[in-house]
Amino acid sequence: MATNRPTETGKKTAAPNAPDRYVGTIVGESTSREFRLAIAHETLREQDIIAVDAELRPTDGREGNERIRVWAKVQRIERLNPLFPAESGHELAATRTSPFDTVLSLSREMVTAVCQVLGAEPIEGGSGGKLDQVRYPPQPATSAYRPDTSDIARVVLGELEQKQDRALDIATLSNRSEVDVKVDGHKIVTRHLAILAMTGAGKSWAARRIIEELAKKKYPIVIFDPHGDYTGLADVPELKNKVRRYYASFPIFEEDSETVAQIVNTLGYELTGAMSGLFEDIFSASKSFIDCDQSEKGEREKWLASAVNDPNIVKFGLRPDMWLLARLAQAGETVVRNKSDDGKRQLSNWGWKKIEGYTGTEAKTLEAVRKRTFKAAAALSRMERTSQRVARNADPLPLDRKELVRYNEISIIALAGYTGDFQATIYSLIADSIFDARVDNSLSLPVLFLLEEAHNFVPAQANTPAEQRAIMTTKQIAQEGRKFGVGLILISQRPSRLDETTLSQCNSYIIMRLVNPADQNFVRKVVETLGEDDAKMLPNLDVGEALLSGQLINFPVLVRMKPPQSKGEREEEDAFVALENARKNMKAAEPANRPDRSKN
Amino acid sequence: MSSEANKNSISSNLSEQDVKEELQRQPHLFMKLAENALTVAESLRGNYFRNTAVFVADLRKAIRAAAEGKRPDQILRTENVGDADWSQLQGEVVTFVDGGVGQAKLSSQVPILLRVGSYLVRTGERNLAEREQFGYYPVILGDLEGGSKDRKDFIDIVRITAELLGGLAALNRNADLDVLMFHGPLVYLVGSYAGHTPFTESDIDIFLHHYASDPEKGKQIKEEFLRKAKLDIYPRMTNNSDEWIKNRVFEPLSFMAYLFRRLIGEAKSRKKAPLIAGAVERGSLSKFIEKVLLERVFRGLRAKGKHDYFNDMHGRTDLTSPKALIDKLGYSDALLLGMLLDPGQYTEPWTIDKYESLHTGQLTLPGKSVQEAVDFTALRSKDVGFPAVQGCYIHVSNTTEPLRIEVFEDMGEDQIAEAARRVYLYSRLLPGYGFPVGLDIADKYSHVPNWLTEAYGKLIRYHLGVSLQSGEISDAEMRRILVQAIYMTSRDWLFRPKS
Repeated sequence: MATNRPTETGKKTAAPNAPDRYVGTIVGESTSREFRLAIAHETLREQDIIAVDAELRPTDGREGNERIRVWAKVQRIERLNPLFPAESGHELAATRTSPFDTVLSLSREMVTAVCQVLGAEPIEGGSGGKLDQVRYPPQPATSAYRPDTSDIARVVLGELEQKQDRALDIATLSNRSEVDVKVDGHKIVTRHLAILAMTGAGKSWAARRIIEELAKKKYPIVIFDPHGDYTGLADVPELKNKVRRYYASFPIFEEDSETVAQIVNTLGYELTGAMSGLFEDIFSASKSFIDCDQSEKGEREKWLASAVNDPNIVKFGLRPDMWLLARLAQAGETVVRNKSDDGKRQLSNWGWKKIEGYTGTEAKTLEAVRKRTFKAAAALSRMERTSQRVARNADPLPLDRKELVRYNEISIIALAGYTGDFQATIYSLIADSIFDARVDNSLSLPVLFLLEEAHNFVPAQANTPAEQRAIMTTKQIAQEGRKFGVGLILISQRPSRLDETTLSQCNSYIIMRLVNPADQNFVRKVVETLGEDDAKMLPNLDVGEALLSGQLINFPVLVRMKPPQSKGEREEEDAFVALENARKNMKAAEPANRPDRSKN
Repeated sequence: MSSEANKNSISSNLSEQDVKEELQRQPHLFMKLAENALTVAESLRGNYFRNTAVFVADLRKAIRAAAEGKRPDQILRTENVGDADWSQLQGEVVTFVDGGVGQAKLSSQVPILLRVGSYLVRTGERNLAEREQFGYYPVILGDLEGGSKDRKDFIDIVRITAELLGGLAALNRNADLDVLMFHGPLVYLVGSYAGHTPFTESDIDIFLHHYASDPEKGKQIKEEFLRKAKLDIYPRMTNNSDEWIKNRVFEPLSFMAYLFRRLIGEAKSRKKAPLIAGAVERGSLSKFIEKVLLERVFRGLRAKGKHDYFNDMHGRTDLTSPKALIDKLGYSDALLLGMLLDPGQYTEPWTIDKYESLHTGQLTLPGKSVQEAVDFTALRSKDVGFPAVQGCYIHVSNTTEPLRIEVFEDMGEDQIAEAARRVYLYSRLLPGYGFPVGLDIADKYSHVPNWLTEAYGKLIRYHLGVSLQSGEISDAEMRRILVQAIYMTSRDWLFRPKS
């Protein structure tokens, strides 16, 4: 879907006879899917769009012949010099001789363009941009020509010509930069999109361009951003006050005690069986500290501050985090060691029922739990601080996840700093609650989720319960999201590590440079609209070049993505420039009278 | 290239066992020997391979002894061009000429068209438009009135004539031509082509149609031949020369001979005479070993009193002359020389007698039914007949048979050496085939593609069917189809206009 500048919609030019537009002649076997063109040297490039005119008898019995234009895309170009035997080449190589110095023939090359038929339309108009299936091959010996820019733009735009409100202006044709390529935003937000590319190929750039275009349509978007690639969106003038950034704090009390115990284990502080049993008691007691009413909460904070000798608890209040668990374990340990019946009773009244039966054995176990939860809490805090730093001026996640979905707003959830498991858990908790809200109609607005590094959220194989849960969440959205107005944009640099079912549920693809053979094969297998020759191009695409395929576009095309207005957090600065800048900053920060050692 | 020649030197393998092992490593020689072993007389079969190895080992020893001055008479003189280099051949204008025949799949299997292709290349030229030129000269055989179409060699006289005209055209069109190389013998054993019905003037016009952009040049050839024919050629060949001249007929062999003389005359008139040569692959000739190599071998054996060398070896009594040896053992020039020459080596030249088979014969004039006597021996004469031809053999690589090179004796002594150098370098670019690559290019170019002849056959069959059903066969329509089909050759990718 494309327009040229300025748009000339609905206007078609007659079949050209001008020699400068002639590109070749159909030779050999022509089918309704593919034909071959004999072309002159350097007349065409791969992925060029060409046309062939044909006359067919109407199938509905009307008089006269129908004149149609068959559109095709150059899939590959083959060059062959049949007068230059391979063995001559070997002899030249062995003797280090230039072929020009010999009697070999170098001038008679056969250049053939293999073209994939895209569809056909009546020359006189009336198809409304939609291309019909070709059911009868173009005639051998027919001349092919290079269509007008306006015609190419019209055909690439397709049916979107009549639905401009859906169009997202994201790219230009790779071989004809004057042709803008617009894609169907409706198909992206309802039928899911996958952006697949190796590192550095421009996938975040492409994603940001799409997000910026969707933002112009005021569509609610929630971005799960593991690396801070999208923090720059907030700096785009047009998106001012439309982007909210959140840093993620791990909502441990939204999980069950077993999961949280597992998290402590995952962080490297393994809880034994006995510890896990006590951990469950501590967890339920901690939860009651969070859930109690505000007046009682103050009393509990005072008691806890006294029990663990930490006045900050009163000063800053209790928060629903791992520190609460750790301090309660410490309080329990103290109470049991001191054989304080009052303390035991107090805690029992506040939800720690079993503590009254604890003895010295449990005190030792509580000590072990306390040490582990403190360490786990410190690790989680580190992650949270990193997330906060990357998110810049971010807010904590709202307890009501529905608040993330707002008309004309983008919510960016910074996951940077968290390990994969935590990221997956945070994602699935948020996505689940929003999806559930859409299912039970408590959330009115549709939403689009963007998952950067999607292979970490929807891996082909789940190795941890967190991954398993994230896969389930994503699969459900991929399969049922369309019904409930929840769309997905999956972005991955390792497509072969993505869950195949989820990826195949995406109906639109933006595929950029992929070098890894496993990724190429996987993409070829899953993306039905991607031809074999298209797949072979993937390792050779330039940075910013992409193959658009699927429902977002009328037919697969090679494009060059337009730059987004925003910048990514991780957009690379020259390492040596960065070093010099850092040195300058250091010098600026130094006191003026300090001697400059570089002069000595 | 020279280094390879040294490394694989066959002249250093001097024992019977060495020769045997070496032959087993060269499938083309081994297969030929195996084939011979099966076709020679039963009494020669048993030890054919071993005896051949013994003979070759003895030959090699004799050649080496002569080279080292231990023997007064050399039985095979050779030169080496293994160190030839492309840098020595820069800036040359080279034309390769070859003819191809198209045969439609009709019940008669009659060839229907012929085309001669030429490939001109300027070595060292980087600009492709300047570097290469392709030309072709098509002849529709059905258009010809002369020639005896019932004879199998009809196509040969047409092809040879067309190729000669192609070569002459190349020479005329390029004042700076350095090399003109033909695919096949420079001159064929023309005796076997005697007796064809002469070509008519309109036949010659067809031949000359593509000869030059200026029709006057073609006309000049025609008129000059008829003038010479009237004065010097036909009176020596026939008692009916006045009738021949009156009918303006072109006896094929005398016209060919004239074209050869014209070619040589034109070449010699140049300030720097171009090299004109023919390269023959897979030749079955045994003239060199009969007249040169074995002649010396037998003489040497007689001188040493070993006149029964071959009889003793094979247990016979009739192997007493080169011809007998060749006839009985099936040796050919290429086979024996393939076992004696190192890559890069070529033999001393010898004059090939191509015209001993020209005798008296008969022919029928176009439109006549009566045969008349003709003395073709007149064409042995240098002034009105065919030119003398010199030949040599050159071995390009260990995996291929030696090639025969032919040049005109009149063109000078250095032509053989120059031709050998170029043939060697040109052929090194096709090491698996061992044949000048430029001729291979001209061969592909002149080849009449199957799709053309097949389509041609279908069109003819279809047209005949329709015409028969409608009760009329229109020759004019048939002709139109033929012309159209020939015109289609210009759609062939090879003939596309220059971009």
